[in-house]
Amino acid sequence: MCGITALQLRDADLRPRLGELMAAMMAQVAERGPDSAGITIYPDVRVLKGVGHPAALAAEWRLREMAGTQAVAHTRMATESAITAAHCHPFVVGDGLSLVHNGSFANHATIRRELLARGVPFDSDNDSEVAARFLAYRMAEGDGLEKALRLLCERFDGFYTLAVQTPDAFAVVRDVIACKPAIIAETAGWVAMASEYRALAVLPGIAAARVYEPEPEEVYLWTST
Amino acid sequence: MDIDLSVTSVRDANAALRALPAGASARLASPAGRHNLAVGLTEAITVEIDGTAGYYAGGLGRDATVLVRGTAGWGAGENLMSGLVRVDGDASQSLGSCAHGGTVVVHGSASLRAGISLKGGTVLVAGDVGDHCGFMAQAGTILIGGDAGRGLGDSLYEAVIYVAGKIRDLGADARIEELAEADVELVARLAKQHGFDHIDPENVTRVASARQLYHWGTP
Repeated sequence: MCGITALQLRDADLRPRLGELMAAMMAQVAERGPDSAGITIYPDVRVLKGVGHPAALAAEWRLREMAGTQAVAHTRMATESAITAAHCHPFVVGDGLSLVHNGSFANHATIRRELLARGVPFDSDNDSEVAARFLAYRMAEGDGLEKALRLLCERFDGFYTLAVQTPDAFAVVRDVIACKPAIIAETAGWVAMASEYRALAVLPGIAAARVYEPEPEEVYLWTST
Repeated sequence: MDIDLSVTSVRDANAALRALPAGASARLASPAGRHNLAVGLTEAITVEIDGTAGYYAGGLGRDATVLVRGTAGWGAGENLMSGLVRVDGDASQSLGSCAHGGTVVVHGSASLRAGISLKGGTVLVAGDVGDHCGFMAQAGTILIGGDAGRGLGDSLYEAVIYVAGKIRDLGADARIEELAEADVELVARLAKQHGFDHIDPENVTRVASARQLYHWGTP
């Protein structure tokens, strides 16, 4: 079990509040991942990771004071690989691509070997890093994020809900069985995704938001403005 | 009784609900997607959840009526023994899973695996359902007012599924069967009882087990 929260702000007036909103969202999924946490804040691709309770980490980082256009965060309950900052999500690779993952991949070692053979470097032994490196590799080969995510669905076995952000996009995808939770909410002012609705309930205007569950193996993508 | 969940914990709220006598009613305000609301109730009380509920709303209940005035997360009405769980909006995955009895009603649509492992309860969805609805359902009834996704009724035992809309595809060992008069009567009664006026009982598709995957009379 892990918790994912991600937010892209369409309304420029909300951007000074990005850190405040993300901290509130992360607090709601802290029970899903009390071991460690991490966040990437755009447009500067500022990456913060640490071991400990997400609420304590958010306070330590002074997250509430941070502004930005979009962010993706993860609260981790480790089931695979060590509890260290290096194993925290987001895995940030390539040209500022951040990936967070709830689930586990069954064939990550095979894909890791294939990527290593193509000269792709790795920073950790974490299965989620393999997905991030795969996407970055595909995008370096000329694929867009949407196509790269479709290829990931074809290539990776296992359970996954993924939230991915690049400096100009935000995407969500789930495996074919969709056994890891995900919920999306959209308003004119923002689009958000979280593992659970309660993390979306803290957002301004949620009562009027379009709330829906992403379909299995469907890529949802929003570009930044 | 009014309970504001922004100031009362879910544990305390559920304890207060369980202390109510049959015939009482209560309202849970500010649910904000909190999990396990109104679970394990054992008296014929009515609980109104005034907004969006998280996981397992109204689960494990006996005799109680739980009304969700918004959407519901995973497992609404799971393991229900009797009574009613009604969701005004949409419901997430595993709606009414393993329900032994009672009725789980969704007036919107339901996500994946609605009625999974149903054990005798009734699951009614006015709109569409996602993939693998009725997976391994052993007994009970599922009525879908809209369309069904992939793998409908996969590995079905003796539950019966009725679909008013289209079926994307059937799961293993599920088959379409002819409607009998008793089916039409049952669908008509359920649709009328729960306000599913858009369903024509004579034009639903009955899906049941082909009984090829499991073996009768095995000691």
